Amino acid sequence: MDQSVNDSEPLQQPAPPRGSTNHQITAIMSADSLERLAVAGKGDSTRTLLRVIILLLIAGAAISSRLFSVIRFESIIHEFDPWFNFRATKYLVANGFYKFWDWFDDRTWHPLGRVTGGTLYPGLMVTSGVIYHALRALSIPVDIRNVCVLLAPAFSGLTAYAAYLLTNEMTPSSSAGLLAAIFMGIAPGYISRSVAGSYDNEAIAIFLLVFTFYLWIKALKLGSMLWGALCALFYGYMVASWGGYAFITCLLPLHAFVLICMGRYSTRLYVSYTSWYALGTLASMQIPFVGFLPVKTSEHMPALGIFGFLQLLAFLDYVRSAIPSRQFQTFLWVFAGSVFGIGLTGLVIATSAGYIAPWGGRFYSLWDTGYAKIHIPIIASVSEHQPTAWPAFFFDLNMLIWLLPAGIYLCYQKLADEHVFVIVYALFGSYFAGVMVRLMLTLTPVVCVAAAIALSTILDTYLKAKSPIPEEHLVEEPTDGTSKKVSKPGLRASSKPYIGIYATFSKVTVAGAMTAYLLMFVAHCTWVTSNAYSSPSVVLASRMPDGSQHIIDDYREAYQWLRQNTKDDAKIMSWWDYGYQIGGMADRPTLVDNNTWNNTHIATVGKAMASREEVSYPIMRQHEVDYILVVFGGLLGYSGDDINKFLWMVRIAEGIWPDEVKEREFFTPRGEYRVDAGATDTMKNSLMYKMSYHNYNNLFPPGQAQDRVRGVRLPDDGGPVLNSIEEAFTSENWIIRIYKVKDLDNLGRDHASASAFERGQKKKKVIKKKGPRVLRVD
Amino acid sequence: MRTLLSFLLLALASVVAAISTSGNRLLVVLDDVADKATYSKFFADLAEREFKITYETPKSDSLNLFNLGERTYDHVLFLPVHTKGLGPNLTPMTLLDFVNAQGNILLALSANTTTPTSLVSLLSELDITLPTDRNSLVVDHFNYDITSAADSHHVLLLPAPKPVRAGIKDFFSEDAGSKLIAFPRGVGAVLGNGELLNPILRAPPTAYSYNPKEQAEVVDDLFAAGQQLSLVSTVQARNNARVTVVGSAEMLQDKWFDASVTKLDGKPVVQTFNREFAKRVSGWTFQEIGVLKVNWVEHHLEEEGAPNDSNPEMYRVKNNVSYTISLAEYAWDHWIGFNVPESDQVQLEFSMLSPFHRLNLKEESRRLAAVHYHTVFTIPDQHGIFNFKVNYKRPLLSNIEEKNTVSVRHMAHDEWPRSYAISGAWPWIAGIGATVSGFLGFVALWMYSAPVAAKKVTVKKTQ
Repeated sequence: MDQSVNDSEPLQQPAPPRGSTNHQITAIMSADSLERLAVAGKGDSTRTLLRVIILLLIAGAAISSRLFSVIRFESIIHEFDPWFNFRATKYLVANGFYKFWDWFDDRTWHPLGRVTGGTLYPGLMVTSGVIYHALRALSIPVDIRNVCVLLAPAFSGLTAYAAYLLTNEMTPSSSAGLLAAIFMGIAPGYISRSVAGSYDNEAIAIFLLVFTFYLWIKALKLGSMLWGALCALFYGYMVASWGGYAFITCLLPLHAFVLICMGRYSTRLYVSYTSWYALGTLASMQIPFVGFLPVKTSEHMPALGIFGFLQLLAFLDYVRSAIPSRQFQTFLWVFAGSVFGIGLTGLVIATSAGYIAPWGGRFYSLWDTGYAKIHIPIIASVSEHQPTAWPAFFFDLNMLIWLLPAGIYLCYQKLADEHVFVIVYALFGSYFAGVMVRLMLTLTPVVCVAAAIALSTILDTYLKAKSPIPEEHLVEEPTDGTSKKVSKPGLRASSKPYIGIYATFSKVTVAGAMTAYLLMFVAHCTWVTSNAYSSPSVVLASRMPDGSQHIIDDYREAYQWLRQNTKDDAKIMSWWDYGYQIGGMADRPTLVDNNTWNNTHIATVGKAMASREEVSYPIMRQHEVDYILVVFGGLLGYSGDDINKFLWMVRIAEGIWPDEVKEREFFTPRGEYRVDAGATDTMKNSLMYKMSYHNYNNLFPPGQAQDRVRGVRLPDDGGPVLNSIEEAFTSENWIIRIYKVKDLDNLGRDHASASAFERGQKKKKVIKKKGPRVLRVD
Repeated sequence: MRTLLSFLLLALASVVAAISTSGNRLLVVLDDVADKATYSKFFADLAEREFKITYETPKSDSLNLFNLGERTYDHVLFLPVHTKGLGPNLTPMTLLDFVNAQGNILLALSANTTTPTSLVSLLSELDITLPTDRNSLVVDHFNYDITSAADSHHVLLLPAPKPVRAGIKDFFSEDAGSKLIAFPRGVGAVLGNGELLNPILRAPPTAYSYNPKEQAEVVDDLFAAGQQLSLVSTVQARNNARVTVVGSAEMLQDKWFDASVTKLDGKPVVQTFNREFAKRVSGWTFQEIGVLKVNWVEHHLEEEGAPNDSNPEMYRVKNNVSYTISLAEYAWDHWIGFNVPESDQVQLEFSMLSPFHRLNLKEESRRLAAVHYHTVFTIPDQHGIFNFKVNYKRPLLSNIEEKNTVSVRHMAHDEWPRSYAISGAWPWIAGIGATVSGFLGFVALWMYSAPVAAKKVTVKKTQ
């Protein structure tokens, strides 16, 4: 720490005449110019004070940029998963921790229920519960909703600090740490999951991820058991918070493995890794949802393997010191070979015998992006599991993405243990981010760190007001490389001649360009945050012709209707996307929700939606469905509606009932997915189609009915007829349509003939004797 | 608690005694209000059972089955009318709504008059088919009254109907003795196969339906014959509303009440059973007999030391649970305990999606106006939202579909046996002990035997 402070050159320089550093600082934040102004004070304490102020301001910037959603809309929980977390938090706050732990939720997954307490990551809820109770204890009467809404922004400030700490471990330049902090604070890749109201596991998990990495690096550098234990502690917290903990579980062993392969095995590595693994695994096994997974599943095996490997290495190290080197060679080979062989066969046997679960589907889809589409439609259907489009990298990271290679390059130049970590992390992070959109989140921290290293190097080099004097530098060089580099003269990077910048023009040009980039970065981040990531998606915003904002509040309108007009235990069937929201906002039991733990149950709902009424009705009766909720965007042009998701329902249902639901039948012979007059009969008879377009053409003049999402004109045949269900509610813009499932006919008729009678159609005389008379048997 | 409840019910029962369980407002629709004289005994019997009878003709303006969405009558009795339509107040839709609103309909047909289209289409919704020809009537050349229909054979003489199969309660043939039911000039109907339909009185195997005007010479196109012809048919809707079709209105008339008839085999003259049969058919239709009700349902934990709360909302897997249901049956003017007929059982299903248990309930105790059925069972090892469901639906009895939803939760973290209570865990517990003591011993050894000089060497080496 102290060392890095001494080496931070920009801070040591007296104030330059023109705002050369000011460029850099305005790009980060105008307030940072304070730093420049106050540089006159050279003392350590002044710099520490400045750093604290800057970090506070960064935290402020990180938090305030995440408040767009609250300002634009309101203090509301966003999207889908956060609604469950919010509901769980309310349960926790109301019932206490033990009740929460043993929570059996009978209002989801009707009629199976969900052992919620044992199937969630409780870290998030417990964190907000603790905050809530702490604030209460300080007699600050705060609403739990506000705690939940503002948790993510608050933690983003901490994440920025963690990024600062992590980067400081990488480079002696403390400006790099501050840059990393501000990058972390405002990078859209992280903001996307942590705006106010985005009350999801990631909200705290990214902080824990970065902080765990920091502690790991610290432990590794010092070879300290204490830091290793701290790392394990935060790893345990991370496990309690997010399923993405597996990323740490795999990355740390990988880092260790790479270090070993590079011949950098050391007792530091041994101590830090062993203490992390032993304590961290124990900690992770305390989470009911994780339980024995760390010793049973393949995802956790690398960590265990490296743990064993390190023991062997330590043993070999001891043997080497004890016996002569020639014997040692033979011993080494025989020993290594046999251990590897035994370990591998043991793993294979344990896996095939079922002691170790084979890789899960989600894991396979990380390697083969086409895998999920074929084998597990439920995973492929989630939009955030789709492969990332290239523009998304630029959209989420802007200039950081091209600073990343530069940062990696700089890491290669120094290549201490911690730099290896950055390289390994960047490599894997970018691969996974390319495979799954949501994993952009795990890539963001390393991008910020690497970019900060690169940018700070550029700025440190180009922002020197004085031109370097070569002779003077020759003296300086050894101190520049720090103690570790001295011991490893083999690397060419460290023996390179010092190259300084002499021309003022190039200094100004580069500094100016960087300033412009930073300014653009801030502008981009702000724009992305405000336009792309701040929509709660529960409330939709649109523009009126005069430019004013118009709020489309159909979701809440419909959920409120359910809350007020249905009985307390009315079961709502909808596609799983809306399960959490119905549970959270309407407080009604649902059949399936976003916790997609039971594929068959989801497929059942898919089948009910994709089949004819006569097939769907018994399914709905069996599951005691009272209301069906569908999302229809045809009137408004809202593209995220159920008809557009319909093929996934069909596919998932087909996975379970390939004979009854066939995707092919929803396509026309020419392979088109159509909803207009050219739609197939299967499509037109499916419950989903009927529910979406029921009564829709009454809104239009005859023959003019139009679906604005799919841009087609609907057939003018009076629209689909529903027999076994009836329309109960349609929201203002027709986004949500709720249907009530009719009871069995009171007189034992089937629904089709009952509603035909109600429409005034006379029953056809059954007197026509075709075939043998049907006799009544009593 | 239960006795108190029973007393309360008994008190309640005595208050409402002597009327139907579903109200006493009866509407009689007939051609001419003066016609009621021919049915005077039947109406007198009804009035004696405290029915408030209103007589209306179909065309009457004051005839309304509903007022402001509420039923204005509890029961409707249709006697034959000569008009083909019943007017705007008695459309099939209205009648169906009436049934859906738990109103009961007794429908008397006659071969002499055309059945109004409104009623025909109501019946066709109920899956009861009448002959298409008007004036079709049922004849039987073997079971007719030789005194009144010596030539035309259209006054059928039938014994009081017994239940179709075992396990069904007998409402209509008790105390009949050798009395016969006279069924003069009646219409036979054909019933569909729905489970809501039940014939009370079926034609003898030798009977058939024909049109005396068009098919006088030869019956080429037979409507139905034998036991397929239902003379008195019933429908009990899912909401327990009852519709009864009596094929011959004439059998309700005074002249056939207590008339004397003679069968073909020349057996001595016997009295008709019509009056009693009419009383029972109307009594059944108007919810005076065959009405079941659930007094209460009670379930609770049957574990030692567990709280004994009634009807908790949540159980745990593998709990022992007791379930009791109290059933009563209405008998003309009071509630009595409902005894399940022999060779029948009341069953309890404990189900989630499909039944995990289907248990016969045993009679636990018999009270004045209730019989309690009871069972104790173990909840399956499956958490979820389960239903205690008693689904008792039998012909001629009103439906019992009692569903009580409970959640069955998993074992809480502190409900498992402790590790030391499981003998299989002892090796592992011993292992923990050995590790801990070994570690402590090692530490102690290390602390006491650390050589100062050697330590420095190792430190250097590791770095």
